[in-house]
Amino acid sequence: MSLFVTITLLTALCFAISAAANHAGLATAPQSAPFFGGGTSEPHAWQRYHFRVYTMTLVFIAFEMEMMFMYPWAVVFVEEGLKAMAEMGMFLGILAIGLLYGWREGVFRWQ
Amino acid sequence: MTLLRRLAASAPPPVYPCIGPGMLDPVERLFASGCARRALSPASAGVLLIAGVVPDRAAAAIDRLHDQVPPPRRTVGWSGADEPSNSLHDAWSGVLSGDGAEPDRLPDEPPNEWRGKGDHGHGGEGMMGGTPYGRPMAMTGEDPRDGLQLDRYTMRVGPFAPMLPPGLELEVTLQGDLIAAARVLQPPFPQEDTASAPPACAARMLRLLGLPHHADRLLRGGRVRAGVLCAVPKGLGAAMPGRDARARLRRWLDGEPGAAQAPEFGALITGLEWHEAILMLNSWSPEALRRAAEAA
Repeated sequence: MSLFVTITLLTALCFAISAAANHAGLATAPQSAPFFGGGTSEPHAWQRYHFRVYTMTLVFIAFEMEMMFMYPWAVVFVEEGLKAMAEMGMFLGILAIGLLYGWREGVFRWQ
Repeated sequence: MTLLRRLAASAPPPVYPCIGPGMLDPVERLFASGCARRALSPASAGVLLIAGVVPDRAAAAIDRLHDQVPPPRRTVGWSGADEPSNSLHDAWSGVLSGDGAEPDRLPDEPPNEWRGKGDHGHGGEGMMGGTPYGRPMAMTGEDPRDGLQLDRYTMRVGPFAPMLPPGLELEVTLQGDLIAAARVLQPPFPQEDTASAPPACAARMLRLLGLPHHADRLLRGGRVRAGVLCAVPKGLGAAMPGRDARARLRRWLDGEPGAAQAPEFGALITGLEWHEAILMLNSWSPEALRRAAEAA
């Protein structure tokens, strides 16, 4: 308990010191403007842009989930034999169609 | 002065240069000599160097850069006639001692009044209407890749951007990481022929590629291996096969001067990402870029 209190107090002290230090060196308006080699800009730098790798991320997650199925499958594979093999083949076949679709849609083109 | 300050004062001072007409080559040789370190942004500099006689149109930019050098700061003027390393070191010692700091030249106020205005104190009404921190939000426009309506960000770069020829002012509109439009506002300052000599141009490009030691070797009259060409992406800025940025760097390394005039700026960098565009612009000599900018 005493350790917990000590850590909490130390953390609070660190925050207080850093807040005081930051306040002392607060940037002025000309300093907090973005640097364009002497140029200027009107709009705020906060803007929305397209995260273009998200389709690739979805495909990655799909194939990662496939591994979740492969672990239990590997455990029963020896007992089940050919039947398990055929089931996994069907599963991978369906996934491969998704992969081909993603390819056609240009998901793997990095630009 | 403490021992720590004396040691720091003997290091090369971090200098941000504002380069005027005819001073590009002398300033680059100054930094290649190692007596000062070129700071790539004012925030990492302690001394602002005004090299040459800067035209009036760039005076406001110098004020902005001066204020972006964190205090305590010093400004040094250099005409190019004398050796500036002593005055740079004196200024740097002054920065480290912290006394006699130069005050801000611009007022400490946001570009627009915003605090406490509007429904939520963000300077306006609605999601897009506010001016948080005194700046309006970016407006949407069509993305050149797929026509999605996303935010466009317009900025004016220069005249003292370290990656562009001094004096060049570009208005660039970015859509995410892509340059959607570019326009020349002011052409670069005229420079001596030595600034457009093949070794100087190749050294500039190598520095951008993160190979400063190779660049220094070139400026001292040495040679670099052709392996550095692999650092330039193949096919960048190819109007026709074999005419890309890599081929232009190869010609400079072989000692041949490049083309006398670059193509029109808008067509040159629209559709590229920022780092590609900068590499591409630097694959033309400052003189070729100046001619292209003045033709526009």
